[in-house]
Amino acid sequence: MNAQMRRNIVQTSRIFISLIALTSACQATTALAQEANYRASADPLELTVHYHFRDQYVYTQDWPVEQKAAELTNVRVRNVASSASTNSKDAFNLMITSGDLADIVGGLKDDFNRYGREGAFLPLDDLIAEHAPHIKAFFEAHPAFHNAAAGADGKLYYIPYIQDGTLSEGWFVRQDWLEKLGLETPETPEEVYAVLKAFREQDPNGNGQKDEVPYFSRNLGNTLRLMNLWDARVSGSATYGDFAVYDGELRHPWAEQNYKTAMSNLAQWYKEGLIDPEIFTRGPRAREYLLGNNLGGMTHDWFPSTSTYNVSLADTIEGFSFRPMLPPKTISGDRFEDARRQIVTAEGWGISVANEHPVETIKYFDFWFTELGRQMANFGVEGDTYTIVDGKPTFTEAVLTDSQPVNAQLWEIGAQVPRGYVMDYDYELQWSNEIALAGMQLYEACDCLKPDFMGVALTDNEKAVYDRYWPSILTYMQEMQQTWLLGAQDVDSTWDAYQSRLEQMGYGEVLDVMQTAYQRQYGADQ
Amino acid sequence: MSEVELSEVVKRYGVMEVVHGISLTIEPGEFVVLVGPSGCGKSTTLRMVAGLEDISSGTVMIGGREVSQVAPKDRDVAMVFQNYALYPHLDVAENIAFGLRVRHEKRKVIKQAVAEAAEILGLTEYLKRKPADLSGGQRQRVAMGRAIVRRPRVFLFDEPLSNLDAKLRTHMRAEIKRLHQRMQSTSIYVTHDQVEAMTLADRIVIMNGGRIEQVGSPMEVFLEPANTFVASFIGSPPMNLLDATIEIGDAGPLARIKGADTAPLPIPDAFRDQAAAGQRVKLGIRPELMRVDADPSTPGLACQIELVEPLGAEALLHGEVGRQPIIAKVETLSGVRDFAAVRWLGVDLSGLHVFDAGSGRSLKTASA
Amino acid sequence: MMKRYFSTLWADIRRDWQLYLLLAPMLIWFAVFAYRPLAGLQIAFKDYSIFRGLEGSPWVGFDNFRELFANDLFIRSFWNTIILSGLGLFVAFPVPIILALMFNEIQNAAAKRWAQTIVYLPHFISAVIVAGIVITFLSPSTGVVNLVIRALGFEPIYFLTQPEWFRTIFIGSNIWKEAGFESIVYLAAIAGVSPTLYESARVDGASRWQMIWRITLPCILPTILIMLIIRIGNLVEVGFEYIILLYQPSTYATADVVSTFIYRTGLQGTQYDIATAAGLFNAVIAFVLVYTANRISRRLSSTSLW
Repeated sequence: MNAQMRRNIVQTSRIFISLIALTSACQATTALAQEANYRASADPLELTVHYHFRDQYVYTQDWPVEQKAAELTNVRVRNVASSASTNSKDAFNLMITSGDLADIVGGLKDDFNRYGREGAFLPLDDLIAEHAPHIKAFFEAHPAFHNAAAGADGKLYYIPYIQDGTLSEGWFVRQDWLEKLGLETPETPEEVYAVLKAFREQDPNGNGQKDEVPYFSRNLGNTLRLMNLWDARVSGSATYGDFAVYDGELRHPWAEQNYKTAMSNLAQWYKEGLIDPEIFTRGPRAREYLLGNNLGGMTHDWFPSTSTYNVSLADTIEGFSFRPMLPPKTISGDRFEDARRQIVTAEGWGISVANEHPVETIKYFDFWFTELGRQMANFGVEGDTYTIVDGKPTFTEAVLTDSQPVNAQLWEIGAQVPRGYVMDYDYELQWSNEIALAGMQLYEACDCLKPDFMGVALTDNEKAVYDRYWPSILTYMQEMQQTWLLGAQDVDSTWDAYQSRLEQMGYGEVLDVMQTAYQRQYGADQ
Repeated sequence: MSEVELSEVVKRYGVMEVVHGISLTIEPGEFVVLVGPSGCGKSTTLRMVAGLEDISSGTVMIGGREVSQVAPKDRDVAMVFQNYALYPHLDVAENIAFGLRVRHEKRKVIKQAVAEAAEILGLTEYLKRKPADLSGGQRQRVAMGRAIVRRPRVFLFDEPLSNLDAKLRTHMRAEIKRLHQRMQSTSIYVTHDQVEAMTLADRIVIMNGGRIEQVGSPMEVFLEPANTFVASFIGSPPMNLLDATIEIGDAGPLARIKGADTAPLPIPDAFRDQAAAGQRVKLGIRPELMRVDADPSTPGLACQIELVEPLGAEALLHGEVGRQPIIAKVETLSGVRDFAAVRWLGVDLSGLHVFDAGSGRSLKTASA
Repeated sequence: MMKRYFSTLWADIRRDWQLYLLLAPMLIWFAVFAYRPLAGLQIAFKDYSIFRGLEGSPWVGFDNFRELFANDLFIRSFWNTIILSGLGLFVAFPVPIILALMFNEIQNAAAKRWAQTIVYLPHFISAVIVAGIVITFLSPSTGVVNLVIRALGFEPIYFLTQPEWFRTIFIGSNIWKEAGFESIVYLAAIAGVSPTLYESARVDGASRWQMIWRITLPCILPTILIMLIIRIGNLVEVGFEYIILLYQPSTYATADVVSTFIYRTGLQGTQYDIATAAGLFNAVIAFVLVYTANRISRRLSSTSLW
């Protein structure tokens, strides 16, 4: 059953992989290594790399994956970033300021595009066209991804880390409470209301106290996720509070009419105690605390980590069953999942102007887009962390049963680090909890993700407009959002003032530049 | 009725006893000076009278009332401190008024008292100044003014002049004396300076090692020191104390100075009764009672002079008598000029003192 | 004249070179960390790019300032800063003084040490932990404060989301955290008051209360004034990390201060030029405040920083 289910999921997730697979998936790796020529440089070449990421890691030549890659490509990287730094942004800025650029620089999209246009990084398109057949093929297959990563001048200044799979989060509900109270999994806003109300008032945890917290969340993105029930969206992308695409037009979801309806209803729900009264201050441990103390009823959160509570709490709370459920239908009868994985991430690497071997470097980058390179970037070193089973890279038993999570093990050897590569969703499926897998299968089948807004690259003038207005507008939006939910101000009576205030703060100007940039970048696709 | 009476007053810090049962009676209007080397317990005794130190045992009475357990402010005493204890943020008038102000006296009363005290102390033109803008002597006067306005039963002075230079000290000393004569208030004054003690006191209390060595009028303690400590403490330069042995001669007891190549000296009558043959004694000779122009046939001491310190009208001769150091204070205006050549010091025998070498006590029998 | 000055200085250095050597680290520190970065202030007047550097970034005059003042959220954050630290000055400033006076009145040495240690301790707790404690204490469901409120029969209050409570919470918890430690300065000043002043006052008949009012306080007044001037100089500075930990969008109305504004709009968006402009503006205001406070203090009490 388990194996069967896992295989099914793997199958469904193949939709994506099959698109990007460039060589036959059945080909054995060992054969790959022998046949293909991965040489990026005729003579052994050393390139310096400065890639400090996620505030704690540095890209290093010591990783087994990198050593193997050096063997195959003849290109050896040498880390020049300080591992003592605890702020990646600072480390990056420091290097830029010093003017002493490494050959390969890792960082974030906005920085690549800004400093690329100022001349710090090489535009990569010509190099890719001439020397990087695998990257070229990938972007040809996915022009939207190229657009998402490119700068306002349409040029690509970095090779992004590209994620696989689209699902990230889903709805979870205490199935055992539903059963205890004789309720069905809610399918409509009315049913969600009824369920939350019942959780609140009918003492499903049976301790005689009205201490249940019907809806809770541990992070900003999910605090107001219930607004989906009224068709409103928390964000148009994986970034919290981002713009969304409405029929080819960029707008902000928090300026939409359905947002007003949603907030107005949510304020009422909050008042009735259906939403955690402490939702804004509970913090990142909310899930652990509320589930662990048998208090929380429903949330919206990541599939894998949320599912594990079924295992960890099985002994302490009798009958504990916190299961994924499909997004309820909205008042308009739609059904959608708001959260998703960002496919083209902002992380990646580029070639600095100081690099005297751009051709070799792009060839080295290209290696990670070959099948073997991608395997190594995802699974580590063959024979070490994975073997080929039925033509597919499969983690060894030792890796799967180690006390450390699989991803943590991989980070230590240089796999799953945000170099420019394409993630293989299979890596995650191989060690995901069954309940999580079942949930994701449910969502895959539903196919109810909204299209992703992949971000725009702004020109200097556009960026100036954006920077001038947008941070203040977002601040104001968040401020009003909480004020409404907490009931400090009435939504219906203040909505018009809110809208005109947004206009006054420059919302229109920001939309204009965003729309212009969007047209420029994605216009061809529409 | 006595104004202040200490009986068997003891002060201990932990196991260390620093004042060993002092008894002292002070009459109304009397100016008593506690004098002694540092660490002798004189300040501690004063502070016990003030109430700033607790009394370990014994009693203190002020104005016939036992005050051992009474707070300082209720003892009706005022105190002048060595470092003046002026409040730096208050001007002279406010400093003087402080004691009255905290007692919530009427504004009018305070104003009048301050004006009066300032008048007495000659501070009238400085009333608006801050302590920092005053000279040492002026500050001292302000400190006294602060005590005066209180019109206390007893004034307590804790080395009030020791922060002043020598000239100012002499001046202030006289002022304090005049002030006392004018106010006739009971005063207890602590000092380590014997000159202050001699000039100011009605009675001097000489203390040493937590005990009273002698109580008496300035001339009493100078002329009739009760023991070697008092003898060497009062007088400048101090009394010479020479080791000697009593011999009984034809005319009565004689003191033979140890190691000296001179005839033994007869001792005054008052000391004879207690002198026994062979008794080891200290023979006390005031430096002022020695003469250089004496004939070696007159009673005196054969000596070697090693150092001459001319002071003007007088000179100090440092020398040896039978290997014992001796100081003589002689007039310079008489005939002899070459003091270094002096070999014989004439002694006024009537001024000799004899102390028991062991106990240090004077052999003088109470004068009849 | 100048030449003479330098030759004298040089002679002094040769004679007392050990003393000047001791002074050197501080001078170097100032040169490197206080004076050299002054050059960076020109960022406020440029369209700054860290890649182009100071030289390469074009001048834009007062554009960055204009942009700041055109933003009413910045204006709000500026007033919030002034109000927050102004209130903090009125409410929190006297607390360490009172604490120091209270410590000074404790006669039992052991009890005094204990009391001091206990109030110093919070200073050494990081802001993150303090914020955690505050959030826990004020939690509407399980927080001690709300349990008391409920026990008294009132509705629990969700303190941290209500703008009208933010200042109270911020200032209150800061007092708890810092007052004890700040009292050390005043304790030191009190220790410097001559004990005979108290003895004299005791003999003169002052009560303990009178001694505090008439001796202790006036004697430590110079210290208090210096501390006050320094505090006034910091009026426009409210540390952002603690605020960020405590504030919510719903409390921005009172909680958003200049430093958090800069953090959100400037540094997160890499707008160093705007951030520098805001910082420069802050510094100018701070300088004016300190200068004024110092003059007033010198005029009124002849105590001053310089």
